[in-house]
Amino acid sequence: MSPINSHLPKLADKLLQWILPDHMVEFIIGDLEEYFAMRQEKLGLLRARLWLLIDVISVCGSFAFKKIRSNSNYRTMFKYYFKLSWRNMAKQKVYSSIKIGGFALGIAATLLIALFIRDELSFDKHYKNQDQIYRVLNESTHPEHMERWSAFPPPIKPALKNEFPEIQSVGRLINFDWFDAGSNQFRPIEEKANIYEEGFVYVDPEMLDILEISMVYGDQSALDNPKSMVISKSKADKYFPNQDPVGKQIILNENDNSIYTIGGVMEDPRTNSFFQFDFLITLKAEEFWEGEQTSWGSWNYSVFVKMKEGGDPRQFEEKLLVIRDDYIVPYNKERGDQRADDMAKYYRYDVQPVGDIHLHSQVTHDNLKHGDIDTVWLFGAVAFFILLLACINFINLSTAKSANRAKEVGMQKVFGSVKSEIVRQFFTEAFLYTMVSFLVAVGIVLVSLPFFNTLADKNLSIPFSEWWLVPLLLAFVLTVSFLSGLYPSFYLAAFRPIQVIKGNLSRGAKNSKFRGTLVVFQFATSIVLIICTIVTYRQMDFILNKKIGFNKDQVLMIQGASTLGNKAEAFRNELTRLSAIENAAYTSYLPVDGTKRDGNSFWKEGRRKEDKGVGAQKWRVDENYLTTMGTKLVAGRNFSADRASDSTAIIINESMVKEMGFENPIGQKITNSFEPTFHVIGVIEDFHFESFEREVGPLSLAYGSFGSIMAVRFQPGNTDQMLAQVKEVWDEFMPNQSIRYTFMDDSYARMYDQVNRTGKVFTLFAVLAVIVACLGLFALSAFMVEQRGKEISVRKVLGASTTQIFGLLTSNFVKLVMIAVVLALPVGYYMMRSWLSDYKYHVDITWDVYVIAGLVAVFISLLTISSESLKAGWMNPVKKLRSE
Amino acid sequence: MKLGAFEELVLLAIGALGDDAYGVTIKEILKEKTGKKPSIGALHSALYRLEDKEFVTTHEGGATAERGGRRKKYYQLTSYGIRILEEANELRMAFSRNIPGLNLKTQE
Repeated sequence: MSPINSHLPKLADKLLQWILPDHMVEFIIGDLEEYFAMRQEKLGLLRARLWLLIDVISVCGSFAFKKIRSNSNYRTMFKYYFKLSWRNMAKQKVYSSIKIGGFALGIAATLLIALFIRDELSFDKHYKNQDQIYRVLNESTHPEHMERWSAFPPPIKPALKNEFPEIQSVGRLINFDWFDAGSNQFRPIEEKANIYEEGFVYVDPEMLDILEISMVYGDQSALDNPKSMVISKSKADKYFPNQDPVGKQIILNENDNSIYTIGGVMEDPRTNSFFQFDFLITLKAEEFWEGEQTSWGSWNYSVFVKMKEGGDPRQFEEKLLVIRDDYIVPYNKERGDQRADDMAKYYRYDVQPVGDIHLHSQVTHDNLKHGDIDTVWLFGAVAFFILLLACINFINLSTAKSANRAKEVGMQKVFGSVKSEIVRQFFTEAFLYTMVSFLVAVGIVLVSLPFFNTLADKNLSIPFSEWWLVPLLLAFVLTVSFLSGLYPSFYLAAFRPIQVIKGNLSRGAKNSKFRGTLVVFQFATSIVLIICTIVTYRQMDFILNKKIGFNKDQVLMIQGASTLGNKAEAFRNELTRLSAIENAAYTSYLPVDGTKRDGNSFWKEGRRKEDKGVGAQKWRVDENYLTTMGTKLVAGRNFSADRASDSTAIIINESMVKEMGFENPIGQKITNSFEPTFHVIGVIEDFHFESFEREVGPLSLAYGSFGSIMAVRFQPGNTDQMLAQVKEVWDEFMPNQSIRYTFMDDSYARMYDQVNRTGKVFTLFAVLAVIVACLGLFALSAFMVEQRGKEISVRKVLGASTTQIFGLLTSNFVKLVMIAVVLALPVGYYMMRSWLSDYKYHVDITWDVYVIAGLVAVFISLLTISSESLKAGWMNPVKKLRSE
Repeated sequence: MKLGAFEELVLLAIGALGDDAYGVTIKEILKEKTGKKPSIGALHSALYRLEDKEFVTTHEGGATAERGGRRKKYYQLTSYGIRILEEANELRMAFSRNIPGLNLKTQE
């Protein structure tokens, strides 16, 4: 019965044939054709076609699930597939749980990493005007010091506003320890007790609009008045519970110049934003010293712009060079700075979209906590590999078991199954395994999320409320089950019925080679991860224990000491009277993160117009600093409180001696651009005052007895008792402010949190990879023992010893693992070399790393195989042979 | 056996059409009597259910050119189908009589 002429498109016809119950297809299609003919007459061809389409959809919709629901073959078949798969799974409990356990671990790791990556990628992607918000960065392309940094001189704001019509608004931000930015002792003016708070920044009033900060109290004009401040919701709840704090006054550090009025309360910043500040101080009418706001010489302000709609950021970036050519270079030329020419050549700007700040600022100095796009890639790759390992396990175990399934397949074929049906059955089985593993994996993720969060310093959760979660996970399950089911399905379905039923299934060499390759791959990956783990731990150990030029142990840093004011000296004297205290120094500058920094340029006296300046830190310290820190003087002398001339004395480090080109540094005169000339009185040994990522740079110590930290060196012994004594003294002096202190070695270790964390993450991954690989190896060896059971028994009967049997069974696997070791070494070396190259000071990758990694791999694999192999060796041969 | 509201309408239509009840005519008469166009999918799925519940029997025939050479499926009430219609009607009447003010024009 072939249709005479059909108006139905072929695809629609096929679809209907597939969906509609067989006994109705013809008649329904006939009806559709008849309608079409009627409508064509009445409405014309086009509309008739349209209606036909609507009818087809409507029919399909009504019948979509009828066929499966009805007692058709499909339903029975799938029921049968599931039943068979389930029975197979339940029959071999150890084998199935290894298959599922390994798979679940792999999937769980992938899910965790997916959550992590999703969070990293979501940073600063929430703005309404996402593509209009940018940060402007400085960039030096000078071959000797390539750098990116965020700080600009203050007049950048009027310059941008006046000369760039494509900009809607400009806002500046100061987010490092500078005047009242950073951390402070905080109190509402009517309270007595000071409380330490962090997260203070200076911002222009425009920033509220640019960063789309939503307000709880007050509005976008909250920072328009001088000396006004916006605080976050949680801080408002802390200090002013259940009230509108707008108009309240607060004071910082007991400083009368730092009295602010609260102009508004903002929502707490989102966790996935670079903007993690709780106290915004207005820059309106703020001038930190006379002439500061109009000077192109002091670089402290980060700059954010909101472009007008349709503004082109690349064009803007090019146009920005006007700032360099019209303001910055002329300013430096005028002052005779030798770097002006270099600037015109190598200095440019980068307009960075706000969404890139978190992941694309690795080499940028901006005092923000960043993620790293490389880490995201690395994690993604690791997740992919672990998933791959898990899939390989699945494939390996499925094909290894093929002998047992071969008879089943043979029988099915004899009874009329065709290949496609058997393929479908094994896919169903793969799906079932994946589904079960997946549910286990979700359980693992739920249990391990808190630990992972601590490890990654994140606050992740499974987004159960998102509509896309279930479809996405389902798609994931389907993909993974497809990938892992692909090879086994076709491999098993290809068995020839007569041969397998006869029992001479060739366990071809080809197949065992394939499995061997997979084992090698798994172990190679594991070994690479083991190498990574060892090297990161060594680097961390190196950082913590290297001679760093100062003694970080046994130093207590009492924070917030600036509120002591003129009682500071008395406090110090009182402290040093305690028997447990050796020494104490008063300063704001210490060689750990979270303390002050002051970058300067120095010239030899009188050479300011002729030479290029030497960039150096200038730290204000008192005469006790060197003894307290345990830093060695290599020449000259320390400061002395008795010499009035020491107010212009300076001590420099060896690196600075070299940079300045001094032969005889003592007595030399040097100058920065704005203070009186300093004379060098001493030279100290270089010590690491910055991260290990950078070389120890020039550092100078100038005399000053003021600071926010009292650094106290104490004697080894009873630390608790010492702390109690110090606290007592503090409470005597500062009854309204609780003591806040950190230990210097802790602060130092915290600088390298990232390394520590990387190490832990690698450990986690390495352990996971090893577990997954071992599960696979264990099952494979168990299987092999089972298959060669008779052979082993015969060997035993003929006099083979347990050792010989053990050797016979393990040598093959050990060989594979050895190959994996050889393959993994160069990969591991290459990866770790590039990781270490981020650090100016790092450990070398020595040969023992490889030996350890290799031995660990061989040992673990031997351990894994041995239980089954030994069991085989000890077995009573009669048991296996009796059955025939 | 349950009879849905739409199924009842379709069943009535089949009864009213007598010997000429197949997809197209059923749809036309439903459109004429109710003033609403039933969707083809809904109609055929109702027919499928009615057949399944054995309220109707079918026979095939009448291929025409305008149907692209496909045959028609004719539907006819079974005695079971007729009884179901009667039951549905009785139920409705019994209920309706109890509603004061409801004007039942049964005799026309």
